[in-house]
Amino acid sequence: MRRFEATQLVLRLAGDSPIVSNLGPSSDELWHAGHRDRNFYTYGNMGLCSSIALGMAMATDEQIISLDGDGSILMNMGTVASIGREKPKNLTVIVWDNEQWGQTGGQTSHTGTGTDLEQVARSCGIARTKTVTDLEDLEAAVTEALASDGPNFIVAKIEEAGYLSVAPVEPEFTLYRFRNTFVAPRQPGD
Amino acid sequence: MNWAEQIVKTLKDWETSMIVYVPDISIDQVTSLIDKDPYFRLVSATREEEAIGIAVGSYAAGRNAAVFMQSSGFGNSVNALASLCIPARTPIPMFINLRGGPGEFNIAQVVMGRAVIPIMDQLGLPHFILEDDGKMDKLLDGAMKLCHANRQPMAICLTQMLHGGKIA
Ligand SMILES: Cc1ncc(C[n+]2csc(CCOP(=O)(O)OP(=O)(O)O)c2C)c(N)n1
Ligand SMILES: [Mg+2]
Repeated sequence: MRRFEATQLVLRLAGDSPIVSNLGPSSDELWHAGHRDRNFYTYGNMGLCSSIALGMAMATDEQIISLDGDGSILMNMGTVASIGREKPKNLTVIVWDNEQWGQTGGQTSHTGTGTDLEQVARSCGIARTKTVTDLEDLEAAVTEALASDGPNFIVAKIEEAGYLSVAPVEPEFTLYRFRNTFVAPRQPGD
Repeated sequence: MNWAEQIVKTLKDWETSMIVYVPDISIDQVTSLIDKDPYFRLVSATREEEAIGIAVGSYAAGRNAAVFMQSSGFGNSVNALASLCIPARTPIPMFINLRGGPGEFNIAQVVMGRAVIPIMDQLGLPHFILEDDGKMDKLLDGAMKLCHANRQPMAICLTQMLHGGKIA
């Protein structure tokens, strides 16, 4: 499965739900799949995609979707333990697992040498986990995840297929565009 | 009201109810109060940069957040500040137990402790050091106002002179 088609699928299933995306191609492809206020693109802070999503999930009752990467979640694997500890019902983590640090030249990551992120999630106390390799199974897994109590953790194995152009993303606009769908924007005098 | 109660009151005054932390023996004097208070949600992070990520997520979804950490852990959070908080302009108050000052007994705490303020300066972020609890209510309230006006992280550094600290 290709990440772009998989991203388009998740975006379609997500409805209005917020989506947080990993730095690099995951964020670019989310933008190309369909820019909206509730896309929270990250462009640095490698490793924090699912931590940001966890913070969101604890701050609101809405369904939160994290589109993380294997390399990034390996950098901050403690956050899988925090998700297992807090157990937010409204959080679905999807790891685009291409078994490489794609953006930096495609070097083989630890998931390419045996690390099984689904097992990591299970051992952290996340009960609802899946590993999927095609769009059909991804659709079933995400549909089920969004309809039931989480946290959910889905490892989606993907093949790299060339990059789309870098999205025109401004972190400050991203954050406040996103936040203003939850709270009233600042007013004169605030 | 002691210094720890004053911090709790200020957090409430500024509707900051999501508190993310990595434990520290002195900061425990505040986080243990927060833990008992249903106003707050106290969240344990495994690492300080993770704590910043969680706090930013909470703020993005409309709930103000603060982080508590030790100065050693500030070192673990620098890239989160530089590549997330500052570009995205998020007002995240950081309460840091500043080690490495008068009374420090552990050589391994000195360098990072003393590097916190220079790093904050390099990042262009405001910081305040509390060495006693005089005028603390005003300072905390003003620091929170600045944090939100600036929409950037801000550090309140708590010292052994303030809280008695861990002495051995
Ligand atoms: C803290 C930090 N270390 C290293 C980098 C360099 N870097 C940028 S993207 C990336 C790989 C990310 O891998 P993954 O999350 O699997 O995403 P992919 O590129 O495969 O889509 C690395 C190492 C960085 N941006 N930040
Ligand atoms: Mg990867």
